[in-house]
Amino acid sequence: MLRLGIKSLLAHKVRFALTASTIIIGVAFVVAAFVTADSLRSGFDELAEDINTGTDYTVRGELSFGDITEAVAPAVPADLVDDIAAVEGVEIAAGGLFVDGVIPVDGNGEAVTTFGPPTAGSNWLEDESLSQFYLIDGRWPVGVGEFAIDVTTYGDDSYDFELGGTYLVVTPTGPREFTLTGTAQFGFPENAGVGAIFSLFDTPTAQEVLGYPGEFNQIAARAEAGADIDEVRSRIEAVLPDGVEVITADDAVEEFSDATETFIGPFQTILLVFAFIVLFVSTFIISNTFNIVLGQRVRELSLLRAVGATPQQVRRSVLTESAIIGVVASVVGLGLGMLGALGLKALFNTLGASLPEGSLPLTLRTVAWAVVVGVGFTVVASLVPAIKASRITPVAGLAEGAGSDEGASLGWKRLASGGLLLAIGLVLTGLGLFADFDGATPQLSTLGAGAAITFVAVSILSPLVARSVVSLLARPLAWIMPISGRLARANAARNPRRTSATAVALTIGLALVTMVSIVGQSLKVSFVDRFASAINADFVVSVNTQAGLPKTLSSDIRAAGIGTPVGFDFDLVQIEIDGDNSQPATTVIETTLTAARISDLDAVVNLDVSQGSLEGFDPGTGLLIHSDVAADEGLAPGDSVDLTFVSGDRVTATVAATFEGTAFWSNWIIDSALYEQVATSAFDDIVLVRAAIDDPEAARAAIDGVMADYPQAQLEDRQEFQDSVESNLNTVLVLVNVFLGFALLIALVGIVNTLTLSVFERIREIGLLRAVGMTRRQMRRMIRWEAAAVALYGAVVGVVLGGMFGIATAVAIPDDIIDTVSIPAAQLVIFLVVSVVFGLIAALFPAFRASRMNVLDAIADE
Amino acid sequence: MSVAAPPTHAAAQAVAATKIYGSGDTAVRALDAIDVSFEQGRFTAIMGPSGSGKSTLMHCMAGLDRVTDGQVLIGETDLSSLSERDLTLLRRDNVGFVFQAYNLIPTLNAIENIMLPMDLAGSKGDTAWIDEVVGATGLGDRLKHRPSELSGGQQQRVAVARALAGKPQVIFADEPTGNVDLNTGAEILGFIRNAVDEMGQTVVMVTHDAVAASFADRVVFLVDGKIVDELADPTPERIRAHMNQLGA
Ligand SMILES: Nc1ncnc2c1ncn2[C@@H]1O[C@H](COP(=O)(O)OP(=O)(O)OP(=O)(O)O)[C@@H](O)[C@H]1O
Ligand SMILES: [Mg+2]
Repeated sequence: MLRLGIKSLLAHKVRFALTASTIIIGVAFVVAAFVTADSLRSGFDELAEDINTGTDYTVRGELSFGDITEAVAPAVPADLVDDIAAVEGVEIAAGGLFVDGVIPVDGNGEAVTTFGPPTAGSNWLEDESLSQFYLIDGRWPVGVGEFAIDVTTYGDDSYDFELGGTYLVVTPTGPREFTLTGTAQFGFPENAGVGAIFSLFDTPTAQEVLGYPGEFNQIAARAEAGADIDEVRSRIEAVLPDGVEVITADDAVEEFSDATETFIGPFQTILLVFAFIVLFVSTFIISNTFNIVLGQRVRELSLLRAVGATPQQVRRSVLTESAIIGVVASVVGLGLGMLGALGLKALFNTLGASLPEGSLPLTLRTVAWAVVVGVGFTVVASLVPAIKASRITPVAGLAEGAGSDEGASLGWKRLASGGLLLAIGLVLTGLGLFADFDGATPQLSTLGAGAAITFVAVSILSPLVARSVVSLLARPLAWIMPISGRLARANAARNPRRTSATAVALTIGLALVTMVSIVGQSLKVSFVDRFASAINADFVVSVNTQAGLPKTLSSDIRAAGIGTPVGFDFDLVQIEIDGDNSQPATTVIETTLTAARISDLDAVVNLDVSQGSLEGFDPGTGLLIHSDVAADEGLAPGDSVDLTFVSGDRVTATVAATFEGTAFWSNWIIDSALYEQVATSAFDDIVLVRAAIDDPEAARAAIDGVMADYPQAQLEDRQEFQDSVESNLNTVLVLVNVFLGFALLIALVGIVNTLTLSVFERIREIGLLRAVGMTRRQMRRMIRWEAAAVALYGAVVGVVLGGMFGIATAVAIPDDIIDTVSIPAAQLVIFLVVSVVFGLIAALFPAFRASRMNVLDAIADE
Repeated sequence: MSVAAPPTHAAAQAVAATKIYGSGDTAVRALDAIDVSFEQGRFTAIMGPSGSGKSTLMHCMAGLDRVTDGQVLIGETDLSSLSERDLTLLRRDNVGFVFQAYNLIPTLNAIENIMLPMDLAGSKGDTAWIDEVVGATGLGDRLKHRPSELSGGQQQRVAVARALAGKPQVIFADEPTGNVDLNTGAEILGFIRNAVDEMGQTVVMVTHDAVAASFADRVVFLVDGKIVDELADPTPERIRAHMNQLGA
């Protein structure tokens, strides 16, 4: 029986190559996800090891909550360095600074920016091994007028830097000119710079320009050779003041990989999600292919049964066949996935992230996943066809019309099981959207399972309606092209099960795309509405980097008298709310706090105060809360809460008013004056400006003048800002849809596959049509439009389904993100048109095959 | 070898038509320089032992296949000079064909199947003529039925009607009664005979059955790809006698 499976595979190479290709793409996705993520992990781990070589301890201010990836460690006094150096067993200690938001400006006046990695300022250390930097060219900078930059930026052709040249560097204390004396590498020369940009100074200069006079934000220390690392650590701990901690190199390495994992992990997960979507869709295609092929082999299988093959043997031969396809697909997918990983890394690098070089690590885990997923999905997909095949009776082959599953039973059983599954799927989806979950993972899993079950249910129910819906959708065909169109329509509707199974892949792909489009569109519309009603400012100043805009920018604009600027600074905060009678326990919330100058807020935003008032707001204690949050937490004007900052500082604030307006600020707002008491943030995240000059051109020119000192900042008017936020959103949506496009690609393969098999099955009919005078062109047209009709059917179901999911999701997303549900009708129509085109393209090969079929072969007796 | 096409009022004609399948050792000479002419308005039967080349002759003459050597003419048109596309159009407009089975498109109903060649051509055809042909099938209210809902005999009558509907120069039928019982066969043959007599059609039919062949005006005997004999105004007995003589 095994030989039979292999023989059958070899006899239908093209068909099985197509079937396998769907699984190959899925496996490739899985492999690319793991390999790229592993490659990043190993690269960053290596970097973490390298920068910590020679450093046994790092001493730094302790965060009271949160972790180091989200917040800046509080500073420590510089004289702590000597205390640590004096600890018995410590060989050497040196103070270091690492401050984000330091931006060099190249010879052409262009500010160096990144897409996310820090643009940091730091100091180099005398002790090379303690230092995190390695000098590549030139010499280390000395004194107030000199700096070095990282070698990646220096070598980047899009920037113009020369050793010995003088360049502007924007620092937290303002822009200054420095002479470039050298280039350096973070970690070791062979490490990539992780995309971060560094400006390096000597220690006193760094303290001065980075705004840490007499302070450091990390102290590196090394134990004497042979000393007990943990013992020395305890001794260091003993000399540390409160709020300062010491971690070992191992801790630091772990912390670094945890930090990198915060973006590698989600990246891997997202790719795996797409992989599973692709594999899920493939399952339908494979199942359908097996069904058709086995249908065509009824005579052969029933003969086998007649000569003594047991049902188990028949089943086993089918499963063996699918397992072989699975193995082959896994192996090919593994190779393709490695290529994909290479491509992904290249893509990231062209986007500006200089990733660690490193090999592409193919771990046992990745290989195991590839095989399990490849074989697993294929075998599962062939289970139902295999069982069906084993039920073929020895006399089945004698029946008239054996081999075609046209007019297969579409009874109550189907309706009942499909309906039940649909109900389960919809309930799960509803739960996923609207129920309360602790954590995103269980919520998304519920949602995903709900969606998957719904799709399976739809695929079961679809044959019940396929015939009438396809006939209806394809009716115009019969008018446009009398005979080819009529036959295309009839062929698309003749086998509802096959049509449904073929279309379901497209349905799933398009449902997802539609859902994303509706959520995206609603997001955009909600944003625009909210933006329009909540923001009064004429101009918005923003910056690409994480660090933000120096607070001096806003004071400079104010000083120039050209308008009212309000800087918004976001920070992590812990809020303690005392219980009341109904709920005695104290609640602690960790959230984002916004600090801004409340007295000027009216000039740039419309907060839409609902309770209390901004009149007589006390900048030293006042707090504003979004009314929904206030209601949730049972807070009203006059109530007090305790705020704890990452530095550990605590203040008590009193609710002055609640507001309804939302845009980019958070639900908790305090005045900058209060914030300055507890935090030393030199950066605003965004600055809004209400111009004092009426003429917009003149106002822009005036602000531009002030911004000359801040080359990294970008100035946009209201509309431009709104447009750029929208276009960022569009980019994300397009990216998501590109990945979902792979599901559509699978659907395309599915159509090609089914149609090729159908053409083969209808060989006699095709021969007859040709014999009575159908031209090749008419033949091709007939097949193409059959495919288009099937595709349109799948697309319509997909758009309807995706529309429902999309609307439900948009409704489920909290009002402060989406409050208006909007349906991009034009886009949905385009999806339908594109699907039809997809069908037409998918039919190219089968149509060609059909038109080339030898008339005589086709009409010859069996 | 080139033979000048003789002036004729033959509906279809083969001149030194030779068909060789395969090459070298395995080559089969299915038609061996056959000269035959089918006159307009006549019903010809072709008989011969299995493998003698009957189907091959039908296929080559109907433009479904090409001869290896020699000429095939439908009316004045030399098929060997036609492109694949023109050959298709010729089949559509000038040739009718009836096979032993599977003559109909399962997704089209009876009347749609009859209209198929006209629909493919995008023409209405001769409506009065079509009405006559359709009426002659005796299908009546079953015309809107799908082939699967018709009996074998009804299906074959629909197939003959389709062949007739476009008023082709000639109709080729390869064992049209091979798959049906005697009564049904007689019914179909009567229908064909009628088309020749009343409508002036030209029909060429392959059959193994002497009774079926006796419906024709003339019987041509084929052996090993050659025409060995022919018989005018045949009766079943004379046909059987000839067959025995040929040793088939
Ligand atoms: N496609 C082909 N390739 C090779 N040989 C063929 C092919 N078609 C027919 N032949 C051979 O050509 C010869 C004539 O075949 P043909 O089908 O014309 O016979 P026939 O007279 O119709 O027989 P039957 O009465 O059994 O239908 C036979 O020897 C057959 O084996
Ligand atoms: Mg034959």
